[in-house]
Amino acid sequence: MSTGEDSDRDIEGRNALVAEYVLGLLPSGQHERVARLIENDQRLRAERDFWQSRFSALDDQFEEVVPPRHLLGAIEARAFGETVASGPVARFWDNLNLWRGIAAGALAVAVAAVGFNLMQPAADVSSLTTQLVAALEEEGSNVKFVALYDGAGNVRLTALSGEPVPDKDFELWAIQGGNNPVSMGVIPVAERSSVAVTPDVLAGLGEGSVLAITLEQAGGSPDGLPHGPIVAKGAVTRI
Amino acid sequence: MAMTQTPSQDIAELISRCALRDRAAFRLLYERTSAKLFGVTLRILRDRSEAEEAVQEVYVKIWQRADRYVAGTTSPISWLVAVARNHSLDVLRARRPPSDDIDEAIDIADSGPSPERATQDNQQRGQIENCLGTLEPDRADAVRGAYLDGYSYEELASRYAVPLNTMRTWLRRSLIKLKDCLSA
Repeated sequence: MSTGEDSDRDIEGRNALVAEYVLGLLPSGQHERVARLIENDQRLRAERDFWQSRFSALDDQFEEVVPPRHLLGAIEARAFGETVASGPVARFWDNLNLWRGIAAGALAVAVAAVGFNLMQPAADVSSLTTQLVAALEEEGSNVKFVALYDGAGNVRLTALSGEPVPDKDFELWAIQGGNNPVSMGVIPVAERSSVAVTPDVLAGLGEGSVLAITLEQAGGSPDGLPHGPIVAKGAVTRI
Repeated sequence: MAMTQTPSQDIAELISRCALRDRAAFRLLYERTSAKLFGVTLRILRDRSEAEEAVQEVYVKIWQRADRYVAGTTSPISWLVAVARNHSLDVLRARRPPSDDIDEAIDIADSGPSPERATQDNQQRGQIENCLGTLEPDRADAVRGAYLDGYSYEELASRYAVPLNTMRTWLRRSLIKLKDCLSA
């Protein structure tokens, strides 16, 4: 609504709301809504960071309590996956388990691309039946994309938010089942683009597979495996 | 070596090594910090078996999200405590019955100029207590109770024997006052 004309009272109310959010006082639905507002507004993010850092000065008052011995083993089994018993394991497997975890977690990501396909001319019935969408986002990142598989060998990407990062590139990955992520190439941020899907990715593309975007060195990952942080991901859903 | 590093730098380094999938670093991080984080989940959840479950989930999250920690923006132990505290609050929220939203006085249209990043935590040590000291004692305690014990508005209202809306008004005013003091 108003821009730059906020009254002191509006600003105070907004700041108090962010403080309530950081304290955890908001009921769950509202907590999540405010979380999304904060992610999309740098003033609110700064306000959140302000409160978080000031309140964290109270952390000394949490008294230390040694947890029971058996917890670490259980944590390692969950964090590292089944391979924990076999001792030191190659980085490849660590990576694989990390990505399996992500694939499972991403299934919970809400898909908010309803209606997107209405923009696309449907060539024939068979292409309609193979249309797939994914909404890509990640907590703590402002990079958001909507991906649409057009049924004709292309994934069309629309950036909803996010800025280019100097000397880095965004790289798109397909995660299918328990396999290593497969690179779909470097993608531009802040504009629409289209990525031709290779036959191996196409074979596994469907409901339950996951698309993810990582921040990689300029030109993309040199070895075909993701190294950078995940800035957005989402489960593929049929529409 | 250890003498040349502060404990905080040690913890930051362990978190970075977790981001590189270093399991030995993860074990060491757990040894150094688990008593603190278990203290957080136990205090907020007030149930030993729930707190044990929560602290396990917290460390799995730390392992998975170690790459999100940006050294220099927050102290590493504050970051870890925030992961534990936020997870515990999520557990509490899921447990509570749904309640009405609180009035959202919020305008998100204008991004405005980039504000300065929050300054280092150690400068704020003592400052929060000084500023809480400017509030009426029971209101300062309510703020502490929300942060340290995860009390909801309902719980705070019943602890201080005031209606829910009164509690909200009290606390929001206190937070506005606190912000003025902390920004001064």
